[in-house]
Amino acid sequence: MSTSTIDRKLLDELREILGADGIVSRATELKVYECDGWTVEKSAPDVLLLPRSTAQLSAILAALHRRGIAFVPRGAGTGLSGGCLSLNAPAMICTSKMNRILEIDFDNRRVEAESGVVNLHVTNAVKSKGYFYAPDPSSQVACTIGGNIAENSGGPHTLKYGVTTNHVLALEVVLPDGEVVELGGPAEERCGYDLVGAVVGAEGTAGIVTRATLKLMREPENHRTLLAAFPDADTATRAVSMIIASGIVPAALEMMDQLIIRAVEEAFNVGLPLDAGAVLIIELEGLEAGLTTYADEVAKTANLAGASSVRLARDEAERALLWKARKRAFGAVGRLAPNYATQDGVVPRTCLPRILRVIAEVSRRYDLRIGNVFHAGDGNLHPIILYDEREPDQVRRAIDAGREILKACIDMGGSLTGEHGIGVEKLGEMPLMFSPDDLRVMTELRHVFDPMERSNPGKVIPQPGACVEVAAPRRQVPI
Amino acid sequence: MAAPSLIPLNPVRGVSDYDLLFDCVHCGLCAEACPTYIVTRCEMDSPRGRIYLMKSLAEGRMGLDDDAVRHFDLCPGCRGCETACPSGVHYGRLIEGARLLVEQNHRRSFVDRFKRRAIGAIFPYPHRLRMLLAPLKLVDRFGLRPVLGAVLPRMIHDWLDLLPPLEPDLRPLAAKATIAPRTDAPAVVVHRGCVAQVLANSENLNSERLLGAAGYRVVQLEPTSCCGALDLHSGNGSRARDFARANVRALKNAGADAIVSAASGCSVAIAEYGDLLKDEPEFAEDARAVSSKVRDLSSLLLDAPARPKREFRCRVTYHDACHLVHGLGVREAPRKLLASIPGVTIVEMTESELCCGSAGSYNLTEPAMARDLARRKADNIIAAGADYVVLANPGCEFQIAAELRRRGSKIKVVHLADFLAMASQ
Repeated sequence: MSTSTIDRKLLDELREILGADGIVSRATELKVYECDGWTVEKSAPDVLLLPRSTAQLSAILAALHRRGIAFVPRGAGTGLSGGCLSLNAPAMICTSKMNRILEIDFDNRRVEAESGVVNLHVTNAVKSKGYFYAPDPSSQVACTIGGNIAENSGGPHTLKYGVTTNHVLALEVVLPDGEVVELGGPAEERCGYDLVGAVVGAEGTAGIVTRATLKLMREPENHRTLLAAFPDADTATRAVSMIIASGIVPAALEMMDQLIIRAVEEAFNVGLPLDAGAVLIIELEGLEAGLTTYADEVAKTANLAGASSVRLARDEAERALLWKARKRAFGAVGRLAPNYATQDGVVPRTCLPRILRVIAEVSRRYDLRIGNVFHAGDGNLHPIILYDEREPDQVRRAIDAGREILKACIDMGGSLTGEHGIGVEKLGEMPLMFSPDDLRVMTELRHVFDPMERSNPGKVIPQPGACVEVAAPRRQVPI
Repeated sequence: MAAPSLIPLNPVRGVSDYDLLFDCVHCGLCAEACPTYIVTRCEMDSPRGRIYLMKSLAEGRMGLDDDAVRHFDLCPGCRGCETACPSGVHYGRLIEGARLLVEQNHRRSFVDRFKRRAIGAIFPYPHRLRMLLAPLKLVDRFGLRPVLGAVLPRMIHDWLDLLPPLEPDLRPLAAKATIAPRTDAPAVVVHRGCVAQVLANSENLNSERLLGAAGYRVVQLEPTSCCGALDLHSGNGSRARDFARANVRALKNAGADAIVSAASGCSVAIAEYGDLLKDEPEFAEDARAVSSKVRDLSSLLLDAPARPKREFRCRVTYHDACHLVHGLGVREAPRKLLASIPGVTIVEMTESELCCGSAGSYNLTEPAMARDLARRKADNIIAAGADYVVLANPGCEFQIAAELRRRGSKIKVVHLADFLAMASQ
């Protein structure tokens, strides 16, 4: 933990490395960097550094290291768990200017990109040749590859393709002392310890990723996208299990409950059935031959499970509209309340009906509206808790309700996070899932990369001795 | 550096409609749709960052200092973020509110004040602009603009650079309708704008003639005054409302069923009169009625029965003027109209929806950023490999043409109305 501060001499040194437009040190400008998508807690850094290259980034980390100053990495700041909140880290390092796609190798199906490249821009760069980058978080129009690597991000299509870690072949990482290391390699199969795997999902506690070699996927020949409406969430989630049990694994299987359906419909007018208790978006993809059979099969199963209607997206435009609605559902919820907190628990698929009942009960007990829009196929929940930050009591209730839901996920044999990361949001819940021994081993692994704990301090692993209250809001609620 | 400006320590709730600020859920999906964020890659130059500054001001968590003003100023007001926003944030209204606050509470540097006053004193008044440009017309007749540019101060030189050559307007006009429209045909009025009627009047005339030829009854507007957008976007709310009232009166009297403008910024300003004058009982209802009649030229032309067209063989790329696409949501109609001309091949440029840097008077007040955006736009246009860039806003036309001129490019920049007139010759 750092006590050093940033003095004028250091600022001059950093400015020397980065140039005038690579450093921000004025209070007004730093203010906008005081939180990411997790707005419950706020803390601005003392200085923001915007390197343009690995060499610059390495030089600034070396300069900070010499003075023992901790830092927090940041991509586009779209994270939902406060992963880039500046906690005891005076310097924030933003990769937004490192946004070049360096090499596209179609023959070997891989792309090398700097960590500040926007997720969707990778797909945009390769789609004319029929390829895409699979992890597709809802924020993909803005979030960066580096941020995806830090949080091990997923997206609707993780059901078929897996999460970020399944798509990273190699990484260039700058360690907290400025040393540049290369992990992994271009080969699909590697031997030895999986160091790339250790860095992906480390939430920036193992140094800063500057470059990544990513796998490219071939666009499937065709899609079938179905929209199934159900009288209630219970029936919908049972249908999820039945579909998967029937042996068909869709590329994506998403659920939206009534609250979300209404918000999305108001925002985008997609034609979702407003009277439905829940809908499933089911996407099948692959060779054209057989797709229709599979789609019929899925529709039959959905009907058997109790669907009130099943409809097939007529064309690419309708499919795009459905996905637009799904991917922007979080934001659409912004129309219902001033603030929301998105949870990210995971449960075994078969527990979905049970956990949704728990969420409904929590919603009633805390007197907060909670919507559900999530990756049903892999049991990754996203309860969206609506609140108003102007009312401190609501903020507290929202945090407590979120905790209770996460605890229920763990009790059902699930996980604290599917793709948003622990950040500061779920720090206090880590001991629910991991024993002190687990956490100690994680800390030891972290020390291999960051012995002084200067890279994104205070994230992922709760400090020994700290109680669950560690994630209580530190910020002042503006009145 | 200017003296520190007023630093209110109390919350400035009036920074914008405070409740509207809470539509923003801080998701950040707007960033890559924002032209200034794309250039600076800094959060305070993104819509989310600016809204965060407004919110912090409103809550008294910071004061209005030079830095905050700088980042508000740098926003071109293109509203690309409104299209990207899943949460329905009314960014246009928020930034207009912030600009009002800045003008009321912040003292600008001398040069900045001079620039802004000059713009405000000249552009909304066509006769003043004409008078000012009369000598320049003479200069242009003898091809002496480069000489003039060399002797004038840098700022004026840059402004001159943006002006199209003031040769007598040689742009072709569409043929007038040969048959008088039926008396029960919908009446359309073309708002001729202020700068547009001086520098690009062919666009107005062609809009009227095309509408006439398509069977609409074209009615004239008297008097035409500036729509007020320029004032609204530079924090002069009271004069913006003056202009709005004058226009509401005139547009009501014109009795049109539809109102179009060759400048999309004006269209959006008129479409928002209802909101601007909502608290003035005398005008509120009329303003709402006027606003509800705003249409865009291409949609009206597309609605009319198709007429046989001559072949016009060329490659066209279409630039989405910000307020047309983000303000009125018009994307497909102009493209469909262009595609309906035999021989026209449409080649899409990348980032067709990204601001070119013109943005009303933005290229005069923020020349450096405007130039960066113009360069980016020109790169995309050149990469598309078209013969023509077609767009539906004169501001974009001057801005993009100036950049292409600097590069010695042969690509022609033409307003949609002029292009349709040319294609029908």
